[in-house]
Amino acid sequence: MPGWATGEDKVQEFERVALVHLDSLYRSALRLTQNRAEAEDLVQDACLRALRSFHRFDPGTNCRAWLLTILRNAFLNLKRRGSHEVFWESTTSESADQSMTDMGVAIGHPEEEFFQTVLHGDVDRALKALPLAFREAVMLADLEGLSYKEISQVLGCPIGTVMSRLSRGRGLLRGTLSRLAREHGYLKESE
Amino acid sequence: MNCAEFEARLHPYVDGELDVGEMLAANTHLAQCATCQSRVERERQFRQLLARQPRESAPPEFRALIRARIRQSARLAALRRWLIAPAAVAAAAVLLIFLVPGSGRAPLVTDLVNKHITYAQIEQPAEFASPDPHAVEAWLRQRAGLRVTVSDYSMSGIRLVGARIAESNERKAAYVLYEKGHTLMSVFTVPASGRIADLEGKRVSYGGHEYMTLERKGYRTVSWTDGPTVFGLVSMLDYDALLECADKLRADRAAQLGA
Repeated sequence: MPGWATGEDKVQEFERVALVHLDSLYRSALRLTQNRAEAEDLVQDACLRALRSFHRFDPGTNCRAWLLTILRNAFLNLKRRGSHEVFWESTTSESADQSMTDMGVAIGHPEEEFFQTVLHGDVDRALKALPLAFREAVMLADLEGLSYKEISQVLGCPIGTVMSRLSRGRGLLRGTLSRLAREHGYLKESE
Repeated sequence: MNCAEFEARLHPYVDGELDVGEMLAANTHLAQCATCQSRVERERQFRQLLARQPRESAPPEFRALIRARIRQSARLAALRRWLIAPAAVAAAAVLLIFLVPGSGRAPLVTDLVNKHITYAQIEQPAEFASPDPHAVEAWLRQRAGLRVTVSDYSMSGIRLVGARIAESNERKAAYVLYEKGHTLMSVFTVPASGRIADLEGKRVSYGGHEYMTLERKGYRTVSWTDGPTVFGLVSMLDYDALLECADKLRADRAAQLGA
């Protein structure tokens, strides 16, 4: 049977263009779900969805951003189906803004030499503590290196919203890291 | 621009997301404001902290599982297409679309010259500054997932300044900056499939390889393609120097990919 009859060409193209981003999908899924088994199911689901709609992918655009969009949609579907807590509305509402000011006590502190001494595990813990809306913006920008435009496509929101979530998310993250550094004794209580 | 206005743009400034006009206004303000300079410095340190985080990879057995599932799913889909003839026609149309290259974009090399000019006006053109080619390569890999070869031209008196992430044809591209005295040289690595014939300029041969040369806005460019990647050098340096750099980069890359 010729290659295209078994879908071999499509598979090879898909592996070359899309599957090279598997690590990125895997990492992002771990950060979204915070659970390895769930992350693996999610990546598998996203890859099969991507394969099915691969003909809609525009080869001139960033494939990683396209895949991350599919991953995120699959994640939201999963959460809706599983009747998990409604995290979405609560994390983007004013209450999240309020909690940010409560948590982000260290925002704007001038002493941040602790950046040099922060433990890798601390960044992980601090990221996990971020509300999802902020976590995914920071993750896409600072860990996956996407541009604002690409992030706005993945999150399906305007660039202005991307900017405000990034700014708040990073502020929260610094606040948490600073608190952890204080707990480890890298920073003195008075600083 | 005053401090409040700058602070509102701090994140897009550090992310390299301001347009040229705002970037210039921001730099003018920064030049005279130590407070905002230290804000930028803190923000950069914070980004570097995040960029230094170890990246988790998908385990090999999981990768194998995904590949098997993809093949299984594609075989089933192909079988369905055979059973439903009109769908097979649609599938052929899809393949054709893949073969038609993107059209209507700004010519790539001209775009790179514009970027070279824009970045040269920024106070710190390199987001990540380092004279160490390996450190710059590692940063590009971590920050944008780009596997870029950074050559060492110090023997020719061309000093590595650093790198930043650029965007070309809506894809992330690597911008590596060098300087010889006060003359800058940009080396762009753009993930874009294309043939050398699609690049602009005059075809020349150097060291047994084909390159395109083009002069735009007083800058000389040397560009070439290698597999799914386009390379472009932009500088006021002469063509001999640029071709020599291009030749070395090609050799270094071949050695790196072969290693």
